Amino acid sequence: MTITIAVPSKGRIKEDAAAVFERAGLTMVSVGNDRSYRGRIEGLDGVEVAYLSASEIARELASGTVDFGVTGEDLVREGMADVDARVEFCARLGFGGADVVVAVPEIWLDVETMADLGDVAAEFRARHGRRLAIATKYWRLTQQHFSSQHGIQLYRIVESLGATEGAPAAGQADIIVDITSTGSTLKANHLKVLRDGIILKSEACLVRARKPEHEGDMNVAKIIEAVRGAV
Amino acid sequence: MPLIDMPDFADDLLSLFRELKTERVDTPVIQPAEPFLDMAGEDLRRRIFLTESETGVSLCLRPEFTIPVCLRHIESATGTPKRYAYLGQVFRQRRGGANEFYQAGIEDLGDKDVASADARAVADALACLQKVLPARAFAVTIGDQAVFEAVVAALGLPTGWQRRLVRAFGQTDVLEAMIARLARPEAMAGLPAEVEALLEAGDDAALVAHVSAEMERTGYLTNASRAPDEIVRRLKEKRVLAGASLDATKLDALKEFLSLNVSLRYAPGVLADFAKAANLPLEAAIAGFDARVAAFANAGASLADITWRAAFGRPLDYYTGLVFEITERGGHDVLIGGGRFDRMMTLLGAKDHIPAVGFSMWLDRIEKAKEAQR
Repeated sequence: MTITIAVPSKGRIKEDAAAVFERAGLTMVSVGNDRSYRGRIEGLDGVEVAYLSASEIARELASGTVDFGVTGEDLVREGMADVDARVEFCARLGFGGADVVVAVPEIWLDVETMADLGDVAAEFRARHGRRLAIATKYWRLTQQHFSSQHGIQLYRIVESLGATEGAPAAGQADIIVDITSTGSTLKANHLKVLRDGIILKSEACLVRARKPEHEGDMNVAKIIEAVRGAV
Repeated sequence: MPLIDMPDFADDLLSLFRELKTERVDTPVIQPAEPFLDMAGEDLRRRIFLTESETGVSLCLRPEFTIPVCLRHIESATGTPKRYAYLGQVFRQRRGGANEFYQAGIEDLGDKDVASADARAVADALACLQKVLPARAFAVTIGDQAVFEAVVAALGLPTGWQRRLVRAFGQTDVLEAMIARLARPEAMAGLPAEVEALLEAGDDAALVAHVSAEMERTGYLTNASRAPDEIVRRLKEKRVLAGASLDATKLDALKEFLSLNVSLRYAPGVLADFAKAANLPLEAAIAGFDARVAAFANAGASLADITWRAAFGRPLDYYTGLVFEITERGGHDVLIGGGRFDRMMTLLGAKDHIPAVGFSMWLDRIEKAKEAQR
């Protein structure tokens, strides 16, 4: 059986992924020219590399069309229900670190915790004639954090596909759920992270789509072991 | 996949609905999604079938009947009281069970006699089950948010805390966390010194001006979201809430109340004993509760089949009083769920306050129960 590893096709995360695999003794080489979207692992037959965008990797893992993927934990957890039953997070790779957080305008002096936000959300409709609006691209993570974990049911998600941090100042939403690595973008937009507002501490991971045929497969075991040894 | 079609007892139910003096209504299968998401929250989004119209309006397949029936009532500007009945298909994404199934139910709008309307809803629900599943025994569980609200008010907590607890009613984990927090006051720190000083001085006008100036400076509109005076008002309230706590006696009383779970035959006595032992002034709530128990008896419901569980509630802001569920005795599947939703009609846009109570029957589960008999 051919094992497919999906890795990011461009940018810093592509280089970092290649470096980890190299340290693991699994050197990735492109097939054809440097810009090719197919590759292989030097000296390891039966394994191919697919260069995809980070969000596509999460999708391909969900559908099981690739065996392994290197991508952000946030994208994987956002991309599918029952995530831990469907994929295995084999190794945390030590790069691409970023937190998915709940952030509110700094000037909301009275809001420091999710409990505060619960109070605000509950009376929002009576005061403003609409529910509290959250701009995010993380629908699933937001729902889990608000509804299941903190018992906040009454809010609306406004889909935001870019520049989410600008939504509150622009009046498109009241607060945001977004990814942040240094916090500087949030700060520049006068937003603050709630004390218990870290939904996920994400980083790049080696993720395996759980498939029965992986059981006893030498290459699968070897890839996991080698990458774990390199991080 | 099982074949899904109108349950064979549908006609029996419809004829019973007529005997119960209800008006049968139908609503389009394709509904605007907005009111459902607005009422039930984002959690519903995963569980409904959503699509978008050509013009960008969110539409969904009818996930339930209560909201469309209420909206239809508001739009048609019909007077109250009014009793509606429905029977039709609803569509939900479910892990277990089919995605399309039948529901039937009654919505009773505008009856100002709360106790008797509550009792009639439960009695009608039982009558429906007895018609479809004759000679079976059922168990009704009821909860009452109004009594919980009265207990919380009687504990003497600030209104902000009362609202928090009421909001968590029915969510055991959230409520337990709040009760644990109430054991001791909380420190409130982290405010800028300037704000702290203005708060200390009680200078609201200066605080509002400060917040307003900060919003201007940082490029936030003061009218798009929370306004400066709203932030200041809650900042002051939060101080009060942070300082609030309950002594051990009152905490124990609250916990004890939430653990009450008794047959309705004994519930009035148990509730009265609780109020007396905890020394809480609950007269008005007890009078309302007792009136409903009396109304149940008048409506011919067997009190022995009804259990009152004090902690039973639903965490949505339109539920106000009675909630109930009916199962087969000893069974787990909820065959009928219902309750009072006095706040829904105005939330949906009705100009006047319209009290409302109703129930919904899970016809697929009832069909399953019926087959189990054969």
